Amino acid sequence: MAVDRTIPETPPTVSDEHAEGVRGFMQGVRSLLTGFAVTAGAVKRGPVTIRYPAEKVTVSDRWRGALRLRGVLGRDEIPLLTSPPHDYNGVIDGLYTSERLPGCVGNCPANVDARGQSFLIADDRVDEAYELVRTRNVMPGVLGRICHHPCETACKRNYYDEPIAIRPLHRFAYEEYQKLRPETLPRFENTQGKRVAIIGSGPSGLSAALDLMRLGYGVVMFEREDKPGGALYTGVPTYRLPREVLHREIYDLVDMGLELHCDTEIGKDIPMASLIREYDAVLLAVGLQESRLLPIPGNDAAGVVGALEFLWAVNRSQEAGVRGKRVFVIGGGNVAVDVARCAVRVGATEVRLACLESEDEMPCHPWEIEEALDEGVIAMCGLGPEEVLTTDGHVRGMKMRACLSVFDETGRFAPQFGDDFTEVETDVVVFAIGQGSKLDGIIAGTELLLTGRGQLVVDGAANTTSVANVFASGEVVTGPGSAIASIATGHEAATSIHRFLEGIPVDAERVRRPVPRYARYAVADVAGVEPSRRRANMPLSKPEERATDFRQVELGLTHQEAMSEATRCLRCESEVCVGCTFCARTCPDYALSVERVDEAGARCLTRYDLDLTKCCFCGLCAEQCPTSALVHTGQYELSFVHRDLMIFDKGEMLRDGGGDRATGRDGIESPACPTSAGRKGER
Amino acid sequence: MTFLWGLLWGLAAVMFIAGGAVIGVWWERKVSARIQMRLGPQQIGPAGVLQMVADVPKLLFKEDIVPDNADKPIFRYAPMAVFAPIAMSVAVIPFWAGWAPLDSTVGMVFYLAFPSIGVLGILLSAWASHNTLATIGGMRAAAQMVSYEVPRSLAVLSVIILAGSLQPTEVMEAWQWWWVPLTFVGFLVYFIASIAEMNRGPFDLPEAESELVAGYFSDYSGFRWAIFMMGEYGALISASLFGAAVFLGGYRWLPGVAGLAVFLVLAMVLITAVMWIKWTFPRLRQDQLMTFCWTVLTPLAIVQVVVAGVVALWL
Repeated sequence: MAVDRTIPETPPTVSDEHAEGVRGFMQGVRSLLTGFAVTAGAVKRGPVTIRYPAEKVTVSDRWRGALRLRGVLGRDEIPLLTSPPHDYNGVIDGLYTSERLPGCVGNCPANVDARGQSFLIADDRVDEAYELVRTRNVMPGVLGRICHHPCETACKRNYYDEPIAIRPLHRFAYEEYQKLRPETLPRFENTQGKRVAIIGSGPSGLSAALDLMRLGYGVVMFEREDKPGGALYTGVPTYRLPREVLHREIYDLVDMGLELHCDTEIGKDIPMASLIREYDAVLLAVGLQESRLLPIPGNDAAGVVGALEFLWAVNRSQEAGVRGKRVFVIGGGNVAVDVARCAVRVGATEVRLACLESEDEMPCHPWEIEEALDEGVIAMCGLGPEEVLTTDGHVRGMKMRACLSVFDETGRFAPQFGDDFTEVETDVVVFAIGQGSKLDGIIAGTELLLTGRGQLVVDGAANTTSVANVFASGEVVTGPGSAIASIATGHEAATSIHRFLEGIPVDAERVRRPVPRYARYAVADVAGVEPSRRRANMPLSKPEERATDFRQVELGLTHQEAMSEATRCLRCESEVCVGCTFCARTCPDYALSVERVDEAGARCLTRYDLDLTKCCFCGLCAEQCPTSALVHTGQYELSFVHRDLMIFDKGEMLRDGGGDRATGRDGIESPACPTSAGRKGER
Repeated sequence: MTFLWGLLWGLAAVMFIAGGAVIGVWWERKVSARIQMRLGPQQIGPAGVLQMVADVPKLLFKEDIVPDNADKPIFRYAPMAVFAPIAMSVAVIPFWAGWAPLDSTVGMVFYLAFPSIGVLGILLSAWASHNTLATIGGMRAAAQMVSYEVPRSLAVLSVIILAGSLQPTEVMEAWQWWWVPLTFVGFLVYFIASIAEMNRGPFDLPEAESELVAGYFSDYSGFRWAIFMMGEYGALISASLFGAAVFLGGYRWLPGVAGLAVFLVLAMVLITAVMWIKWTFPRLRQDQLMTFCWTVLTPLAIVQVVVAGVVALWL
């Protein structure tokens, strides 16, 4: 509304001289009339002010009033993420939609509650920590050794110094649990009266088995090999995963009620069709059993082996027939690195590893290749296999062609080769370029369908196959991947089977696991960071010692290291102040002072003082609070009878944040009024 | 029985004055706003009409402060002494042909006498406050109100002479339209003297908020203050109704209900005129006030009485 703010001109003075008598009277009358004219003119002119909007004034949520804490460690517990298996996705999704999902939990394919683990370990409740982790990660001790730990990548502590050592803490929890564990584990009873058969005892099969047992089903598991574990047993080298750990955890499941049949191959010993008939549901968790070879000349020569066969031979007998020979590994993934490191251990004289990608593009984890190089493996990057050179059907060497680029602009795998050729002499060539499924024997005589490329027809989201009561999980669904990703599909498959057996449509109103995207953290500058705040380093055995045998490379954390590592956890989004002191460090006005005791098992906040007289309400402290425990209230009305009341202590910080008026600290008597107002009867 | 009826009428008068004050405050805020080129109340209710509905509870719930050094009983009840006579003066106003709430044979004198009791209340409150500013305000009020009684009474006397009766209903019955031009000067004197009687600007020397804070009610707050304010608006309403009746003819212009409507509209025009004057002219000085009363208004009123007396000989 445009407002004309010009003010009408005031008339000049009417009576500029003093007059008497009739003239004076007339002058007076004229003055009066002029006065009326002025005011009447103003009325006629209309208002020049604007009409104010009539809406009610409300306090926005974004107003920054005094600060308060939602909770403090020692008084409030960290919320542990627990729920029945088929509902866990709902819990995670609820946290995600309310922006309360910690990064470590969100980035884990199986959403393991790493935050709860750190809290329970720091609280000296290690056995509870182990049991909490086991609900989502069926073998914490195993994954604590071999996991590629996406949780640590998303850890918020990356931003401040270094991430929490979540994987070593899994391992620590396992080792402590072995000391604390009860003699007999509680058995899950078959309360539902239904039985599920699981084919394959790999990570996904085991996780599905635990979920189904928790839901009250009877679970029968079949394993082809002599011992359970699947790829963890046949493929993962023992220097990374001691077999007693693996089998300890699997036989714990057997103690809990799992019926395990080893040396039983479905399709040979028992036909698949009879399983489908006899059991209420069948889960195919057989994984990928066949190494892929490249269709290049000479790939049928003696001395060319697949990675899985090579690793299985090494794991079974610690002997792969390469003693004193030169080994050439083709592939740049984790399996290729495993093969190379095993080859070193079984006595190969020279181990080379060739991959298409350049050094910084290698698909394996950087720490893996680093440890391999320490052990004497020679990496040859940017080379693609052209031909296996043979003499009399025996491998003589490899002819390699330079690889210019691996991926095209859209990120698809489309290698471009150059014209430079390299020949390398070798005795054994190991192809570690991927695995495929081998299902013909299993599905014979059933209505299960395969695709043209020999893969199972499966709905990747619902884990259903072409037969109603047959489900699939693990790498047979997802393709080659990590152990923890297989575990995640096992949980999904268990949910599908539960819904199928309950008669609920497998897909109807099913909460999917949210897949948050976390920005990659730049490496934080740790110069000047106190040693007590740094990450506990996992000790490794010396490369020259470890390269000769299959003892574990990683040596584990000591009790004290693990305890202090667990206290480093910021308990992100738990809404409980953990005394990380980052708010006090951030405050530009030095208005906050935070103190905590930091002894093992007795960590608690001892002091939290906010000096409101210094606070400038910038909000930086609440902005960066990792746990979202520190929040601005709507109590913007700050009026106190004494300055002391404006210093909030810990108790006051925990006060109710409702209303729009801050009360000040309790327990301080208001002093006498400085102006003596309000006193009676004195004057 | 008579007592109960009296109580009922008293309540009605209080409600009438209080309701009128509520509306009057809103109207004055609007008028003053427009004169100052503002909008006035606008947030509560359409055009802010419910502003006073919100203000009255606020006043009711405010702390009732009595100063330590005040003469407490007098301080507490002085507001009633201001308000009650004004509420009583409404009783003799002729609203309808042959009907006034109290149709007294000496109604005209009653009307002139009762508001004068108010000055006593003002003096009491000023004195009881034990406050320099309040005392000055009270003294000014006494001087002013007693002085302006004279021209006011003389002006009304002209109508009494013409009508030949002291009973308001009879005055109204005797009223002729040509009395308006005849007693116009008397009406002006009555009007101006009434403004001075009710302590409104430009004759608000007893309050003079820019000099004396609030004059005789400086120390009052909450509902006691509100009683003063209602008394002031009550005086405004009462004087306007009386003037509209005996000088301007009131209900006589039209028959029946329409006459009553004309009467009320005339009163409202007078009320608005009082407000217009207040927001147009600056406050007078004490000597100007007195000079104006004794050298202008009183002689004019006497002339009016004489004119009325001469004309009455021919009636």
